[in-house]
Amino acid sequence: MREIMYREALREAIDEEMQRNGDVFIIGEGIAERGGSYKVTEGLLAKYGPKRVRDTPIAEAGMIGVGVGAAIAGARPIVEILYVDFAMLGMDMLVNQAAKFRLMTGGDGRVPFVMRTQGGAGGGVAAQHSQSLEALFYHIPGLKVVMPSVPADAKGLLKYALRQDDPVMFLEHKHLYMTKGPVPEGEHIVEFGKADIKRPGKDVTIIAWSNMVPRALEAAAALAEEGIEAEVVDPRTLVPLDKDTILASVARTNRAVIVQEAVRRGGVASDIASIIQEEAFYDLDAPIEIVAGLNIPIPFNLELEKASVPQKDDVIRAARRALHIQPMAIAAK
Amino acid sequence: MAEPVLVPQVGQDLTEAKIVALHVKLGDKVKKGDLVAEVESEKASFEVEAFAAGTVIHMPYRLGDVATVLTPLLLLGEPGEAVDAADNTMPAAAAPAISAPAAMPAASTDGILRSSPLARRLARSNGLELRRIMGSGPKGAVIRRDIEAALAGRRGVVDATPTAAAAIAFRDLKAGTGDPIVFIHGFGSDLSSWRSFLGNLTLANPMRGLDLPAHGASPPLEDADFATIVAQVGQALAAQGEAGIHLVGHSLGAAVAAAIARRGKPKVRSLTLLAPAGLGPRIDGEFIAGFLAAQTEAALASWLGSLFHDRAGMPQAMVRATLAARAGSGLAAGQRRAAAKLFEGSTQLFSIREALDHFDGPCRVIVGVEDAIIPAAQATNLPGHVALHRLAGVGHLPQIEAAALVGRLVAETVRAAG
Repeated sequence: MREIMYREALREAIDEEMQRNGDVFIIGEGIAERGGSYKVTEGLLAKYGPKRVRDTPIAEAGMIGVGVGAAIAGARPIVEILYVDFAMLGMDMLVNQAAKFRLMTGGDGRVPFVMRTQGGAGGGVAAQHSQSLEALFYHIPGLKVVMPSVPADAKGLLKYALRQDDPVMFLEHKHLYMTKGPVPEGEHIVEFGKADIKRPGKDVTIIAWSNMVPRALEAAAALAEEGIEAEVVDPRTLVPLDKDTILASVARTNRAVIVQEAVRRGGVASDIASIIQEEAFYDLDAPIEIVAGLNIPIPFNLELEKASVPQKDDVIRAARRALHIQPMAIAAK
Repeated sequence: MAEPVLVPQVGQDLTEAKIVALHVKLGDKVKKGDLVAEVESEKASFEVEAFAAGTVIHMPYRLGDVATVLTPLLLLGEPGEAVDAADNTMPAAAAPAISAPAAMPAASTDGILRSSPLARRLARSNGLELRRIMGSGPKGAVIRRDIEAALAGRRGVVDATPTAAAAIAFRDLKAGTGDPIVFIHGFGSDLSSWRSFLGNLTLANPMRGLDLPAHGASPPLEDADFATIVAQVGQALAAQGEAGIHLVGHSLGAAVAAAIARRGKPKVRSLTLLAPAGLGPRIDGEFIAGFLAAQTEAALASWLGSLFHDRAGMPQAMVRATLAARAGSGLAAGQRRAAAKLFEGSTQLFSIREALDHFDGPCRVIVGVEDAIIPAAQATNLPGHVALHRLAGVGHLPQIEAAALVGRLVAETVRAAG
């Protein structure tokens, strides 16, 4: 299969859906003339013109408001927010309007709105440009939360998002845009609520999403050298969450390690852990392990930044704990 | 606080070492690194250095003594310092880590039964009692592997340990003249377990130990039921070419000894059977499962303790030696497979009654009345030519708990063969 970059896969999705449906348009900061800070929208202006590919001022509240309003009016807007951190400016539109409109109108009004944005640490862009804020959206009933980890999922999920009638928080990761992976030619759609087993294994289940998936896979490869077969489950969409795949995996391995880049407190990992303990308690042979970011703003210093979010070794250690392998015994190896 | 200098661990399966040189005497001042003694196993001698500076305030052993490994060879302290009673005996806490993994989780010491949810479910669905299973998880929690080990011990779930070519390991324990006395250990033990007992024997015969398959230095046998083990050991004994031998066996080893006598080759001249298996159906299957599953010193000590009428009489070195022998070897797995063929739960799948009926030499059966593993009550209705000794206040190990008497009885049995 051909291999393309995550950002190219996203571009294909937008391109194909814009071609397919004249209601799809995209607005954002520097997305038209410059082709986007991460080059996701490169070439789209030339192809679809300034009405459907439009630059905006640095005014996220306005951008999100425009998007939600346009969606209510029947268009299919994509609003690109440069950093998820700045989406906070549009929270009232997202939380109180987009997420609630369908309910408030007795189901008559729909909000086919996609907010594309990116988060995550890496590269020393400090506390206001590095956050992983999926838990904020996850918490709000009415919002779908999508976090692709590989190019194929990025394309398939975005295409699926652009055919939904409810608001989608499409959360990319700044470290993934340049990563490459196989993406099928032609129409490729990934439905929401279907987790993907990124690596099968029988000994321990590692649940990870977004940029923690490649990290979990690295950890799984290292564990394999010790004879531990880790299964890496990528939910791909946090809302809706594919509980069945997660619970089935835990039933096979009897242990769960959940990895999130976001800070530990009030995170999605904690919620998944509570689901597992509630629905798979008698499958568990060890406490559920959560590997998460520290409860601090992301530091600017690169070493401190690295120390504040989960690394490969943190995942390996958690997996060993879940397997009741003692740290000393490992040190002796 | 006095610091002990310990008798070194002289080999994986060895629990004793002979003191062949003492370079210090009471009251001597030593500094760190000083050579204080030399001890010797059958294979090698070891120099013992002081790990700390101090004055020798206590020396429990004399030159020529056979010392138990990992007990204090001497104590270093301040001149005139009183010897603490605790230091005088077995400083389990002061003993340095031997080859047993240091980081094994501690078994529950607070009496709280912990278990993983999965372990509880598996125990329930398999009819196992959790409190009978020693946990190897955090704080002694029973986890999946403990249940699996217990089930393997009970039902013979086969795990994938490769088996080497069958062979029976022998070792000469003492030189001598006459027909050799061959000692066969019980389940889970090995030939080194006889060393401390030999001092109770006033016999000139050569003494030899063997390791049953999947024990000590003998590899496991595939599908080793009782008959296969007897055939294998019998062939190995016959191959030694002795005209006649005396057999002393304990528990499973006693049953093997009786069955070998029935084979007729080599000629078995006398039989001394200590707490023999094979006289009745009952054996404590939970003990076997728990013993095999135990992975920590605390867990193993709990199980080994039930071999004794008086638990306090259990040598700590026995626990450590068993753990050390298991470490990194496939022994426990091989023994688990063997147990599956020998026992079904709490039932012994073999009998030696027919063998005893036919034995024409001197034969003694010695049982401890307090035996918690194989009930002494099963040693009844023995053939008239077999002597039965029922020892009060003794458990499953008469050779330890009544070593002197058992030594005397072994000697009498051997001498009776003429």
